[in-house]
Amino acid sequence: MGKTIDIIKKKREVPQEVKDNIKAFTKIKKQILKTLETEPKSVPQIAKEIDLAQDIVTYHLMTLQKFGSVEVDDIDDMDEYYLYKLKK
Amino acid sequence: MSKSEEYDVLVIGGGISGVEASLNLANQGHKVLVVEKDLSVGGKMIHLSKVFPTLDCSACITTPKVSEAARHSNITIYTYSQVNDIDKKAEHDFRASITKFPRYVDEESCTGCQVCEDKCPVVVQDQYQYDLVGRKAAYVPFSIANPRIAAIDIENCSLCGACERACPADCIDFTQEKQDIEIKVKSVIVATGFKLFDPTLIPRYGFGLFKNVVTSMQMERQLVPTRPFNNVLRPKDGKMPDNIAYVLCAGSRDETVGNPICSQVCCMYSIKQAQLLLGALPMADVTIYYLNIRSFGKGFNEFYQQAKDMGVTFVKGKIGKVEELEGGDLKLRYEDIEQGVVKEANHDMVVLSVGILANDGVTSLFKQNLELDQFNYVNQKDLLANPAQTNIGGVYVAGTASGPMDIPDSILSAGAASSETAGYLRGGNHEK
Repeated sequence: MGKTIDIIKKKREVPQEVKDNIKAFTKIKKQILKTLETEPKSVPQIAKEIDLAQDIVTYHLMTLQKFGSVEVDDIDDMDEYYLYKLKK
Repeated sequence: MSKSEEYDVLVIGGGISGVEASLNLANQGHKVLVVEKDLSVGGKMIHLSKVFPTLDCSACITTPKVSEAARHSNITIYTYSQVNDIDKKAEHDFRASITKFPRYVDEESCTGCQVCEDKCPVVVQDQYQYDLVGRKAAYVPFSIANPRIAAIDIENCSLCGACERACPADCIDFTQEKQDIEIKVKSVIVATGFKLFDPTLIPRYGFGLFKNVVTSMQMERQLVPTRPFNNVLRPKDGKMPDNIAYVLCAGSRDETVGNPICSQVCCMYSIKQAQLLLGALPMADVTIYYLNIRSFGKGFNEFYQQAKDMGVTFVKGKIGKVEELEGGDLKLRYEDIEQGVVKEANHDMVVLSVGILANDGVTSLFKQNLELDQFNYVNQKDLLANPAQTNIGGVYVAGTASGPMDIPDSILSAGAASSETAGYLRGGNHEK
């Protein structure tokens, strides 16, 4: 089968919202991965460091965990928050 | 392009009821077509953690059935397809038009390897995890999907072509178009299931606004092995909750939201989830705010008592309002019905036990006007003697399309529908 993507590109345009979503996800992904380079961190720690709402960090962090960029490390001393680290 | 096919029975909906009815009929030698609107068969049940009151694994019951149906020589399954209209020409002669939407993936050659998923740069909310986590635009719907093959979400696709370049089986095909199919069948089973109540319709519960207020399906997903997070966590900040409240009758038995009837399953699934939560989070407190506990089925009351014995707190109370406190905890203002006073309680996570509603659009499929009852479920005109019979001869109803019910009742209902359909196919039970 040849490359069919070129055929659909002639018929469809990518909505601006889709392009914006990709940019936003990629930006947050880079920020989260960068903060985890130094040491494992929890959602509130990451959110504070990159100045982003905690629920947005949770969503993106869990998505990165699902797709294998991030993994669970340990739980904090209060047994409240898991720490996450880069998956080697 | 339009093609024409012939079967004995058209089953609308590939949930547990539709699959069960199809298997029963196929095993009797009837040719069955199952039309499922989703990318996978299995309905709601395939997404559940455990079933009540036995705590058997829900997926472990569903997947063998859907696999058997998918492999059965007498069953054809069209996923990601819809029935547009059905016209009864005469007894044993129904004509229906079906549209099969493009997955942009060749169903025969896709192996479900997920390489396309890995390469796809797009992330959108995963509807199969009830928006708790993201998924790609090129994706296998979920790990136990049937068929377990990829699909391209074209609305969210960036048309980068990375999936097509990476696919080792060369099965991505962006030239696919929707396909119209005309079918002739002798009988129809409506197994269209139910939809969940949208809790944003009760703004005082704060769903959508307060991230630690979740629906029971979101909690259900957090309790399955293929869960969105690594444990049961608060969506707001990833904290392990230790004081969880359940709000029963969220969208059921409530005339103000247009659903005055009991959804039949919320009490028991909440009690089930409470027990599972105590297993997942041994230090957690779980409180269930209820109007009446309806534990009417076999073993249900014992299951309720078991939850009490395990330490679940039951409060007979009607929730007035949920407010968010600093740090994401939630304050519930409620009427303590037994004491007749208004009280407040703090919890760190609130689960809304959302009710069941009739699915829209079933009646408009039929040219002969399929009758609904006052709550928009398919009307059962002879509930005691022929529970699956609708007002149209040869059209039968299975499962929650006829009203709220639990899984065993859905399977029984599917059994009734398949028996009555088999009788009709043999030439009996004509309704005009």
